Amino acid sequence: MSDILSVRDLGVSATIGGASVPVIHGLSFDLAPGKILGLVGESGAGKSMVGRALAQLLPPGFAIASGACLFEGRDLVAMAPERRRALLGREIAFIPQSPQTALDPLRTIGQQFDEQLRHAGAGARSERRERVLAMLAAVHLPEPAELVDKYPHQLSGGMCQRVLIAMAFSSNPKLVVADEPTTALDVTIQVRILRLIAEMQQRLQTALIFITHDLRLASRICDEIIVMYAGSAVEIGPGRAVFSARAHPYTRCLELADPATAHGGRALFLLPEQMPGLRALARMAGCHFAPRCPNVTDDCRGTRPMLTPVGTGHSAACLRLSATSAITAAEVKGAAAEDGAHKPLLRVEGLSKRYVTAGALFGRSEVTAVRNVDFSIAENEFVALVGESGSGKSTIARLLVGLEAPSSGRILVDGRDLTGSSRETHALRIATMQMVFQDPQSALNPRRRIASIVTQAMEAGSRHVSREERVARTRELLVEVGMSPELATRYPPQLSGGQRQRVNIARALGARARLLVADEIVSGLDVSVQAQLLNLLFRLRAELGFAMLFISHDLSVVRYLCGRVLTMYRGEIVEQGKTAEVFANPQHPYTRALLAAVPPADPAVRWAALDSA
Amino acid sequence: MDMLKRCLRSGRVMVGLGIVLVILFCALFAPYLAPADPNDQDLLHILLPPAWMADGDSAFPLGTDSLGRDELSRLIYGARTAMTVAIVASFGAMAIGSILAHVAGYFGGAIDWIIGRVVDVWMSFPPVIFSLILMVGLGTGLDKVILAIVLVDWTRFCRVLRSEVLVVKQRDYVAAARLIGFSHWRTVTREVLPATLPLLITLVSLEMGIAVVVEAILSFVGLGVGADLPAWGQMIADARQHIYDSASGLFFPILAIFLTVTGFNLLGDGLRRALDVRLISAREQ
Repeated sequence: MSDILSVRDLGVSATIGGASVPVIHGLSFDLAPGKILGLVGESGAGKSMVGRALAQLLPPGFAIASGACLFEGRDLVAMAPERRRALLGREIAFIPQSPQTALDPLRTIGQQFDEQLRHAGAGARSERRERVLAMLAAVHLPEPAELVDKYPHQLSGGMCQRVLIAMAFSSNPKLVVADEPTTALDVTIQVRILRLIAEMQQRLQTALIFITHDLRLASRICDEIIVMYAGSAVEIGPGRAVFSARAHPYTRCLELADPATAHGGRALFLLPEQMPGLRALARMAGCHFAPRCPNVTDDCRGTRPMLTPVGTGHSAACLRLSATSAITAAEVKGAAAEDGAHKPLLRVEGLSKRYVTAGALFGRSEVTAVRNVDFSIAENEFVALVGESGSGKSTIARLLVGLEAPSSGRILVDGRDLTGSSRETHALRIATMQMVFQDPQSALNPRRRIASIVTQAMEAGSRHVSREERVARTRELLVEVGMSPELATRYPPQLSGGQRQRVNIARALGARARLLVADEIVSGLDVSVQAQLLNLLFRLRAELGFAMLFISHDLSVVRYLCGRVLTMYRGEIVEQGKTAEVFANPQHPYTRALLAAVPPADPAVRWAALDSA
Repeated sequence: MDMLKRCLRSGRVMVGLGIVLVILFCALFAPYLAPADPNDQDLLHILLPPAWMADGDSAFPLGTDSLGRDELSRLIYGARTAMTVAIVASFGAMAIGSILAHVAGYFGGAIDWIIGRVVDVWMSFPPVIFSLILMVGLGTGLDKVILAIVLVDWTRFCRVLRSEVLVVKQRDYVAAARLIGFSHWRTVTREVLPATLPLLITLVSLEMGIAVVVEAILSFVGLGVGADLPAWGQMIADARQHIYDSASGLFFPILAIFLTVTGFNLLGDGLRRALDVRLISAREQ
């Protein structure tokens, strides 16, 4: 069968400061009808750029420098813009990353869907309506007839994504490009959306390009995977093969850095630093992965490796392929040694939070965000709080640190009640607890230097702190979180995402907190950066000693990091216990659903949630 | 420092700042620059055209008005009046408006509601009529003009800055400052204010241009700084009566007002573009 899409030596370059810098280097692949191709890589690898290059929707300053994208034999790059526009949305469809921003908030679902069908040239008005209803039913949306008159904000994120999937497949396209279609959604919904995309793809025999950062996920659903690093394909092969027989050192390192595969107190593998920026890449003569590769030799820095076959349809770009399997992570000392008898630090009793919302005309309605919650955290204990969005996890965090006042219940630290608003409880709270916010971009004042942020606690209160004292403390804290003290004079926007999150943690440590309340602090970070932070948290606990309430939706991270887990569902804690026990034998249906949403680490094990369509 | 460099690279800021500095220079050194006393009357030489025209007199470079006063000297001293009003009034309006804006935006709730309603009611008066009524009540004089402008224009700062404070307050670093033990005062001055400062500077610059216009209007209708102080608005009012005999008397003060307001507006617009973080990231990424 001839290929739907055949990309030959595609090169994309960006203009930075007057110079042209390559962003994607000679990428080639073929995609047959009805097959799924996975483009996998960390942020900055250039994976989204491939999808955008197909549609010629590159950001300003970026341009296709070389190569061809043959769609059924016609080159999309050389094609006249009108002809390409005619193909897009009809023969080639896209599923966007964030469903809620992809829909126009001012028009109903039906209007937007109808426009899409009109563009695709589908029949008369009544015919189109039939088609809209049929497609909405095909993506398992309930009551399609009512749905067409709704506006996007009236639907949940998962429903919006279903609508967009229906729209993408409505014109029977030959190729669908899905760019991180599930990243913005809840974990339990992610699987269902994936299953839906796979189902539609199989039914219509569409070719699919699936862009994701999650290699484990890609290996489950893709026929072929391309692992990208810094703009080049470093490994290409069948999904299962790339996952189970990793040939390139980068892919191997990613596996070792993935907390899902780390059992029995093994430390996560640390890839040093981060992916080089575009400017650095342009100056690099040899292998792009060389600066971070554990197997690097002098040859690697001088020669750029070509893709070499390592198995059937499986090839990798590395000069020392045979050495890849030798990469291992060090054993971690005492990571598991936490379940000793510690004295309790925090106790929460019957905590509730109700919000009163004013009704339209009559009376008021009450929303209970958190209902009668009890739990405790011992000193030096990492406790996880898991649950879907809207389950009240973040409300608990805000209640603990005092950003909100509880409606009822008590929060006790060392047996002293923190509820109430006296000066003493406020001081005790500040001395005990610090919050590490989810989004470091918002949590770090862009106008303060790093030094000023990490020692911000010294500015509070009336005691004057000398300049020398602050400089010394800055150095201490930056070294503690594994950053160079030279970064002290920078501003947050000049740092990478991982570095910002370290600063975020350093600030909380700078206040000498005994309990960190960490709200999704590693979600949204790349696997290699996430591994650095997880190991950092273990090391800091061993050195400084603190407890943490770790709010997360990523169960593999939770299993790696936390000794105990609390599951929240609709404002209540429905299950709690030792992580290992809860994960081995989950009692509550929601805990089971959460666990099922995680693809098994062992590729031989069937992933029930995906297969039971 | 980055901000400063970006400002100095911007063409708008440089041109605007250049114009404003020239006028400020005239205002500061008026006694040395002006060829004559602005109030000296020479009834033998009334309504003279500029020196380079026929009938011009080289003793009066830009001619004279209906009382034989030197146009150039009056223009230069008028800059003094204009700049005093522009600077003092806009800083006064900024002080009241921005303090209330930060209080309202940061604390929210009932305080925000009260301040918001006061601003609403205040802004429903037409500003020029409002200032005219104030001037009738207060009487003429430089300080009265300044007071009138402050009382009318503080709402402009309050409304715009309040919405900016609301945005900044949502950022997690403001909550983080509170959690780390900052008092409200410290949180506002160290975390919120630095973020709203660029907008504040921009608004002050634009307000200066507005103040110049308002002062000219008030002087034009004779409710301004008083007859003994030269003001551009007065000069226009004066020249208007002799428009068919001598148009130049009308031309120069209007040009002066135009240049000053353009200078402030260019400066304000340039600062807005140079200081707005969102515009920077859009351009440099």
